[in-house]
Amino acid sequence: MIETLLLDCEQTEGGQAILLRRPDLGARVDAVAMEDLPRVDLARYRGLLIGLHADQILLQAQRPQLERFLAGGGTIVFCGHVAHPFLEELRPFEPMRGYRLDDLRVKFERPHPIWAGVDAEHLTFRRGVAGFYGRGHNPPPAGAEIINTLGPQRRAVDFVCRPSAGGRLLVHAGADLWGYLEADSSASRMGPQLLDWIAAGAAA
Amino acid sequence: MTLAVLDSGTYYHHETIRGARYRDRFDKVIYAPTLAESDLDGVDALIVPDRTHPRVLRAKRPLLLGHLARGNTLIVLAETASHEWLPNVSWTFRPTNFWWWLERGADPGLRVAAPGHPLFGHLRGEDAVWHYHGVLHPPAGAEPLIVVEAPDGGGDHAGCLLYEDRASAPGRLIVSTLDPFYHHGSHFMPATTRFLDGFLAWTDATFRRRG
Repeated sequence: MIETLLLDCEQTEGGQAILLRRPDLGARVDAVAMEDLPRVDLARYRGLLIGLHADQILLQAQRPQLERFLAGGGTIVFCGHVAHPFLEELRPFEPMRGYRLDDLRVKFERPHPIWAGVDAEHLTFRRGVAGFYGRGHNPPPAGAEIINTLGPQRRAVDFVCRPSAGGRLLVHAGADLWGYLEADSSASRMGPQLLDWIAAGAAA
Repeated sequence: MTLAVLDSGTYYHHETIRGARYRDRFDKVIYAPTLAESDLDGVDALIVPDRTHPRVLRAKRPLLLGHLARGNTLIVLAETASHEWLPNVSWTFRPTNFWWWLERGADPGLRVAAPGHPLFGHLRGEDAVWHYHGVLHPPAGAEPLIVVEAPDGGGDHAGCLLYEDRASAPGRLIVSTLDPFYHHGSHFMPATTRFLDGFLAWTDATFRRRG
């Protein structure tokens, strides 16, 4: 079964191009042009991947459609900075100002299947450079499970919550989690484990 | 004189266009998917920021070409598939080297090709150096502004990252494979902020009524 739908924004490089072309993962993911979202029957899918290039003004307009999907038990994964909150649980991104290396360090606050076997150092640094994973946070709603944080201020770079509409919402305040598939580190585990987590449904 | 910019609804267009640093640099912001002919009335120059969704731009092609045909300016940045909807744009994919700067003394090979162009009264060549998304092959009559040289001096990997074409249409067409709106709006890569400081100072001086 194709469990997950990805909203495609036609960028030539990056996570979606890799995800969709890898036989083991691409076979599990449908893609539709971002602009066609209003005409998609989301009830056919368990998961919806919304990446950093998404049109959040369109998502805001489609909030009832997204809430119906959640009410049916769907899982929405959003990666990026919230600019136009498109669900009740989302607040605008808060960037860190004048950050130092310590502010960018990723800390695992609690185990989660998507990050199982991933080394936090491999998220903090790519080729010795910090900052790719996150440089701020999307403020989580009350009651959210904070999974990973940044720096001594423990800004919630990853959280999961049960939206009021239903279903599950996972929010990552950085580049697409499926964009690490070709990383030569444990970070490459996140993409496949993300699809597995979606497939497992709300029991996971 | 009026400068307009398209907004595709991404967080980084929102941050770059509406954020404190540049919000006064645009006279008009137009949500790209609903662009209508009347939106371009009185607009002298239109910026199509990097990563504006190609599907939207292909659908708006007649409006964008009409803007050029009336003698106005169109500025089109990277990852917009401009070769699919603009006249005489030829683009070659190159895998982006995001990491060249980790090598000591590395030179990504960028050169200002037209130092006398008014843009370079505002922008330093080094502020265009981060990475680029493929290369352009300017048509006859166009003026290359920033080019990239192959490390071995050969022509195989050479190309253009920014050019101005006044020959293909009555208006001015500026095309680039640089993506400053994305990186500045993502709070990453300070060179992209320096690029926009210079580039938008040039658009201020060239396309906007002052005073």
